Amino acid sequence: MLKAIDLTKKYGNHTALNQLNLTVNEGEIFALLGQNGAGKTTTINCFLGFIKPTSGQALVGDASVATSPALSKKYLAYIPETVMLYPHLTGLQNLKFFSSLAGFQYSKEDLIYFLKKVGLQDDAHQKSTKGYSKGMRQKVGIAIALSKKAKALLLDEPTSGLDPKAANEFSNILIELAQQKTAILMATHDIFRAKEIAHQIGILNAGNLVSQVEAASLTALELEELYLQTV
Amino acid sequence: MNQLLIISFFKTKASWIGLASIFFAGMLSLYFGGLFIEETQENERRAILLQKENIERNVQHHPKDIGLLLYYQKFGLVNQVSPLASLAIGQRDISPSIQRVNIRNLEEQKYNSRLANPVYQLIGNFDFSFVLVYFIPLVIIALCFNMISEEKEGGTWALALSQTNNTKGMIRAKLLLRYSSILVVLVLLLIIAKFYLSIPLNQKYAAFCLVSVAYVSFWFAVVWWVISFHLSSSKNALVLLTIWVFLNVIVPAAISGIVSLVYPIPETFGTVVKSREGYHNKWDKEKAPTIQKFIKHYPQLAQYKHPKGARFSWFWYFAMQQMGDDEASAQSRELQQKVKKRIRLSENTAMFFPSAHTQLVLNSLANAGLQNQLNFMQALEKFHERKRLYFYPKIFSQTASTTEKWDKHTLAKYEEQSEVNWLQLLWPLLLGIGICLGAARLNQRKFYHL
Repeated sequence: MLKAIDLTKKYGNHTALNQLNLTVNEGEIFALLGQNGAGKTTTINCFLGFIKPTSGQALVGDASVATSPALSKKYLAYIPETVMLYPHLTGLQNLKFFSSLAGFQYSKEDLIYFLKKVGLQDDAHQKSTKGYSKGMRQKVGIAIALSKKAKALLLDEPTSGLDPKAANEFSNILIELAQQKTAILMATHDIFRAKEIAHQIGILNAGNLVSQVEAASLTALELEELYLQTV
Repeated sequence: MNQLLIISFFKTKASWIGLASIFFAGMLSLYFGGLFIEETQENERRAILLQKENIERNVQHHPKDIGLLLYYQKFGLVNQVSPLASLAIGQRDISPSIQRVNIRNLEEQKYNSRLANPVYQLIGNFDFSFVLVYFIPLVIIALCFNMISEEKEGGTWALALSQTNNTKGMIRAKLLLRYSSILVVLVLLLIIAKFYLSIPLNQKYAAFCLVSVAYVSFWFAVVWWVISFHLSSSKNALVLLTIWVFLNVIVPAAISGIVSLVYPIPETFGTVVKSREGYHNKWDKEKAPTIQKFIKHYPQLAQYKHPKGARFSWFWYFAMQQMGDDEASAQSRELQQKVKKRIRLSENTAMFFPSAHTQLVLNSLANAGLQNQLNFMQALEKFHERKRLYFYPKIFSQTASTTEKWDKHTLAKYEEQSEVNWLQLLWPLLLGIGICLGAARLNQRKFYHL
């Protein structure tokens, strides 16, 4: 569903991403590990079309991000590290706004369904998001992604800053989405959560994919050791 | 989406403050405009009474000597104030709306006028055109400068960009929302003005409204162009305020400076001096040459004579007064030509600067510009000439003052008639809008990236 072919991004002399090749199939969660500046966010931004790669291709399904941006974006949903919402609108209104941006017109009941599905407490639906915690905003972000019914989901350090309970709830939602055939590419620093939910794990170092393993093939401690050896 | 954009916009205090400030500033300007019109109408009423009283008093004092009566008696010409002048006072506060002249030499009297408080004139008027030209653009800038940057700085841009390829449409909708909000307030003010200031619904008022809307549209186009560069909020604010200062402060001052430099008018002082010399130095000279010149000017008055050997006659006296005007006429014409050239240069230069153009155009529609003052001066010359030609035979044939039907010498009125040239009014603004929107299109690609 998601495919990077020799994906390269250079900023002057600095290579942010060097001939990255990876595939995320339907129903698969691919966790990208790496230090700050390793190229994780650059990879996600290339898939989203936010930045133009220097060479190589990013494919979403059969659609090339470079040549069919509208089609590739239709298949994609995105959850940034910190979901920022319009503070003057309620959670429900934010969800309605972003889903309508993607071309979906949902009824109030449908919107409430998405918010309930991601576990946002009922009394928060109609409250201004000005007072939302980060976890609550992340949940609205997931609801936005769900409402798009996307075939692929891109996450940029989505559990960063979440409390353990919220992070656990978040992981469960991702697993459920993967079971529904969604391809998920997740950039994260959280080795243990990556091991817990991902099928494939890639380790990026200075723009190079230095290692790619099946999550089931090693323990969390072995993964940590591999990570420390490669970065 | 649009409904939520509206909710989001109106839940922001800044939006209400901006729109309310336009409304209250606009209402205040209408109030001041109303006061100006009232004051002008009151002046006219008083001038009518004053002229009537003066005539009665002069006839009482000089029942036999109409020459002496007309030495003193002044007749007024009113430059009728258009109701639109309540919206654009222009130069009406420094140029008198009523000129009272006697039939002696005119040039000297042209510049005798009532001056209101000079400090007030220095500050200028808080009229509707001021609110439109200077204040509304500031509110537009305040409401729009961060339409894109607040999304980027607030973190919602990335999420929006991941949802759609049409983020430009979203920003355009935000801009249109602000545009329509300000237009609603503007139209509301113009409707209130129509009833509160009794402005007739005619072509000029339609042009005034259309120019106002086009000017507001121009500023939205400027904002759209600047924010399309996707700069930070502070940079947007800085650039937009610099444009505001350039267009609204520097350009008008520069145009005024250039016009004075290109067309200096030493004739203003020279004409008055020439005119005074024209008749004053005739006191000590032979009367015959003065009278000959006068007869040459008015051959139809050749039948009247100066009594032989007399030291004084009204015939000679008014001939001498006439010389003041005749000898200053070349300079007076030159002065008018220069003023015309100044007007043309200002108008032509302002066509490339929408704020200056709008101010000039609104003044012109309201008959409150320099052109109107020039036309009024020309009307005053004709009015003065008519009075002279009417009274000269009566004076020279020594008619008794009491035989004249003075009731018919009421305050005369001059009303400027001009056509609306729609293209000339609107093209500079439409061109400005077109250039800004066209330039913004060059930044189109920036809407698809972070």
